Amino acid sequence: MSEVLVRTEGLGKSYPKSFHHRDRIRALWRLLVSRREIASTAVLSDVSIEVRRGESLGLIGANGAGKSTLLKLISGVLTPTTGTLAVHGEVGALLELGAGFHLEHTGRENIMMTAALHGMTGARLNACMPTIIEFADIGHYIDEPVKHYSSGMVVRLGFAIIAVLKPDLLITDEVLAVGDEAFQKKCIRWMQDYLDDGGTLILVSHSMYHIQKLCRHACWLRDGRVAMSGDVFDVTQAYLAFQELKLAAQESGAARAGGKLEFMVEDVQLDDVEGELPLVIEQGKGFNVKLRLRSRDGRRPVIAVGIVRADGTPVYGVSSEMDGYQPALDSTGETRCTLCFDDPQLLPGSYTVRVHPLDPEGLRVFDTVERPLVVRGSTSEFGLVRLAHRWLPPNGEMA
Amino acid sequence: MRTVTLTVEFAVRELRERFAGSFAGILWAVFQPALQLAIFAFVFVKVFNAKIPGANAPGYVAFLAVALWPWTAFSDAILQATRAIQDNAALIGKVAFPRAVLVVARVCSSFAIHLLGFVVIISILAIFDDSVRLGSGFLFSLLLFLPLFVLALGISLLFAAVQVFVRDLVQLLTQLLPLLLYCAPVFYDRAIMPAEYRPWLSLNPFTFYAEAFHASVLGHGEIAPSGIAYALLVAALAFLIGWRLFARLDRHFEDFL
Repeated sequence: MSEVLVRTEGLGKSYPKSFHHRDRIRALWRLLVSRREIASTAVLSDVSIEVRRGESLGLIGANGAGKSTLLKLISGVLTPTTGTLAVHGEVGALLELGAGFHLEHTGRENIMMTAALHGMTGARLNACMPTIIEFADIGHYIDEPVKHYSSGMVVRLGFAIIAVLKPDLLITDEVLAVGDEAFQKKCIRWMQDYLDDGGTLILVSHSMYHIQKLCRHACWLRDGRVAMSGDVFDVTQAYLAFQELKLAAQESGAARAGGKLEFMVEDVQLDDVEGELPLVIEQGKGFNVKLRLRSRDGRRPVIAVGIVRADGTPVYGVSSEMDGYQPALDSTGETRCTLCFDDPQLLPGSYTVRVHPLDPEGLRVFDTVERPLVVRGSTSEFGLVRLAHRWLPPNGEMA
Repeated sequence: MRTVTLTVEFAVRELRERFAGSFAGILWAVFQPALQLAIFAFVFVKVFNAKIPGANAPGYVAFLAVALWPWTAFSDAILQATRAIQDNAALIGKVAFPRAVLVVARVCSSFAIHLLGFVVIISILAIFDDSVRLGSGFLFSLLLFLPLFVLALGISLLFAAVQVFVRDLVQLLTQLLPLLLYCAPVFYDRAIMPAEYRPWLSLNPFTFYAEAFHASVLGHGEIAPSGIAYALLVAALAFLIGWRLFARLDRHFEDFL
């Protein structure tokens, strides 16, 4: 087992609730004299993680989940309120945009300053300067004040310095999102090389692609706590599924709360399963979607039905309009119909069946109702669905 | 080691920034106090007809200049350094480094500028006023800058830390520092004060320095060994208190910036 670079136990951070003038004076008094607790808001609590040399950890979570706070704690910018934090080795942190640049100074001057902050000066710096400037690749802007830079150029410069410093532990906070495509690729390539050389990385990103590409472990923070941590694929899947669910709940909740819809789904049943329980079927078996919809003004809705995997990846979607099916309304504006998937070819896994009524033009979605579907089986095929296929021997004929 | 290079880097940057964009650049370090001295000289010598009492008393302009420069270094250092943490909030939020460096750098840069000014102006005055001595007394006066620096550093560390929490401090300081100046024998000699007030002046930490500079450069009055001991003690105490308090509050800066 390699050496532990970062270990946190029960780490927590609270910010003082203040910001009236009186609160600040009171806070100062408490810190200096009475040493009583200051009223505070917890932004991070009970975080225990461990990062060993050579590991790469991705931090994911919604905005405000505490990712940046955790990075700031590890990089030493913030001091923890509770718990313990031990960091070994040299840390290079790229926190947010700007990386502590001085806007009035030129890029070159800022390189010197930042390098000094990381303990590099004199001859070593002079030797590295051309490499940094070349990596940043911002042309004549290097001798202009940083205030004239675009946000992408600031990130380029910041990353270039870190790239040349090659710290033991690299911490970056959502910096890849700002650079252009070419620079992103360059950074990712650099990070991969850095990891291959035994570097250690903690990366915050909202791009699951970057996280999965660069990290082997991931940690999902939710409301300041570790919701899940472990293998990068497991954690990102769970996170995406959670996001998808939350979004869907918000959307349908908001629409339904907004009064009666023009077209509404009254009920959806998968086979004969009542309520919102999942329908469990064996692989290769078909199922029926029984629908009951209502139209407020007697116009005929277009009915769309889709199947998505639990993490939100669409598998298949179809509408009554595409199939040329006209739902018949009764006198109260209600329509009932059944959509039969006789041979769905779904591989084992968790899925969701979604039903949306659309206006007769098939343009606006009015409602969303979901029902869970579980396909069971023991095949070892990969993916979502079985695609019809066959193998041919070298000189085989097309059958 | 890293801390030292960092301090130098910040101090140099501070100096560059202070004179950035001005034509005269670093010359302002001498120019500005010289201008101030000229104004004071006009007002006090021509308008108020001020004189230093005593048979071998030095000229008023030399008397004023010798103590005014150290004062400028002292007060400028405190004023600048008090805002050091607040002004660098963005940097503190993004990079981890010992924050005291910011305060030390500002005090250093202020002292560097005004020490240079002091040397230049005393050398010029020596041409016109033979009571100004450029020998050992002058060298001793340079030594006086050391405890003054430590004193200013202690006060600056304390104020810089408190300023993070109570932003009014700098406003208050711009009012209070001149008061401290007027309560020290810089514009006048202690001898012209009514006798019952004279001992009170010693409470002002700058009084010792004003009189010590007068004594060493101009040979006006003398420096009591007890005065030196007292000044060293005050400087050491100020530094210790400032340092301890800064260290105590350091970890909470980010929360309040």
